[in-house]
Amino acid sequence: MSLNKDDLKKIRFFDNYTEEQLSVIAGLSSIRDFQVKEILFEQYDELSELFVLLEGTLSLGISLATEKRIHLGTIEEGQLFSWSAVFAPYISTAWVMAITPAKVIAIDSKKLNLKIEADCDFGFKTMSKIAQTISHRLSDTRFQLMNQMII
Amino acid sequence: MTIDRNIYKPFRAKLTDVIEESPLIKTFVLVPEEEFSFNTGQFIELSVDGIGEAPFTPSSSPVVTEKLEVTVMKTGYVTEFMHNLKPGVFMGIRGPYGRGYPVEKFFGKEVLILGGGCGLAPIRSLLYALENVKDKLEKVILCYGSKTPSDCIYKPLFTRLNKIEKFEAYRTVDKAEEGWNESVGVVTTLLNKVKINLKNSVAVVCGPPIMMKFGTIRLLEMGYKDDEIYLSMEKNMSCGLGKCGHCMMGEFFVCKHGPVFTYKELKETPDIWK
Repeated sequence: MSLNKDDLKKIRFFDNYTEEQLSVIAGLSSIRDFQVKEILFEQYDELSELFVLLEGTLSLGISLATEKRIHLGTIEEGQLFSWSAVFAPYISTAWVMAITPAKVIAIDSKKLNLKIEADCDFGFKTMSKIAQTISHRLSDTRFQLMNQMII
Repeated sequence: MTIDRNIYKPFRAKLTDVIEESPLIKTFVLVPEEEFSFNTGQFIELSVDGIGEAPFTPSSSPVVTEKLEVTVMKTGYVTEFMHNLKPGVFMGIRGPYGRGYPVEKFFGKEVLILGGGCGLAPIRSLLYALENVKDKLEKVILCYGSKTPSDCIYKPLFTRLNKIEKFEAYRTVDKAEEGWNESVGVVTTLLNKVKINLKNSVAVVCGPPIMMKFGTIRLLEMGYKDDEIYLSMEKNMSCGLGKCGHCMMGEFFVCKHGPVFTYKELKETPDIWK
């Protein structure tokens, strides 16, 4: 299912983009639906799409060598995930599974990277948003780690 | 709103009910024998004859004066003894002491509240106070985190808050258990989903030091100004009167100048998160 720039305007992640830039993103995007317990991608999968959660709740986690899934946290509506799709080696650092029926915006990351390289303003905005997501993920992980250390 | 009385002298209060909130946390319902009132965020010294006393911030509504609720986590000698008390016994109350939440300053604004663990106790009192003046507020959002669903206190509170106009409440746990269908992750992850007008908002943070540190950092990152973040420090308080120095934090006595401070007041103070 395709989407247009007005669909993107409703999502906080896409704040600050110009109309033209939103149209570009919409052109690279599609909407995908996932059922409960459906895996969006596995840890170590090669990724080619950057995702933003539109509806539902997802679980993000890592797998141990024993193949046991460790659930680290939930992804909430409006959040970006699968940032590894934008950076070499494009390998996922975690798995993501739907825990409710979910609707996701999938952005073609190869085409997005070409646009990032070609348009400085678009590239800066996009990279800032992705960096902020990674920064929050890192900060939350430290917070979680310190919580565990105190126990 | 406080009543003129000898601040050094405890008065009696009858324990009428004990509510188990989580394996380590209980709420004690007390009926004071003297007229008593407090401002939300102020604290009291609660004593058990022959055992000792400890400071607690009431978790009940400041508007309800006939009874008082105090939520206590079992952490030491006095609190362990308290956890074994049964309704019918008498306890001592000194106070109220300190500076609570400046609720009037929240009028016309959106209030974002971040709570963790037993830090929800003072926040519950604040929520009751805000509910009482909700017509003067734009919105109240509570984000609360606990270690596990079993550690989450005041479980019915969240359902209730989500039914009140202008109120929203979200919960998360560090580690989910069977049947949990809400968020998983530290409390700051909930900030991804709240919609708040930062130009007209204040934030309140209360919880364990680590949570307060990471919560405050994230709020600053979101765009809150130093004087728009209220921190309920509640640590190391002992005498409650600014005499013993136990709670001294830089130039402040937490018990006397706080326990509620703005981040602006404390940001130059060393080791505020310890």
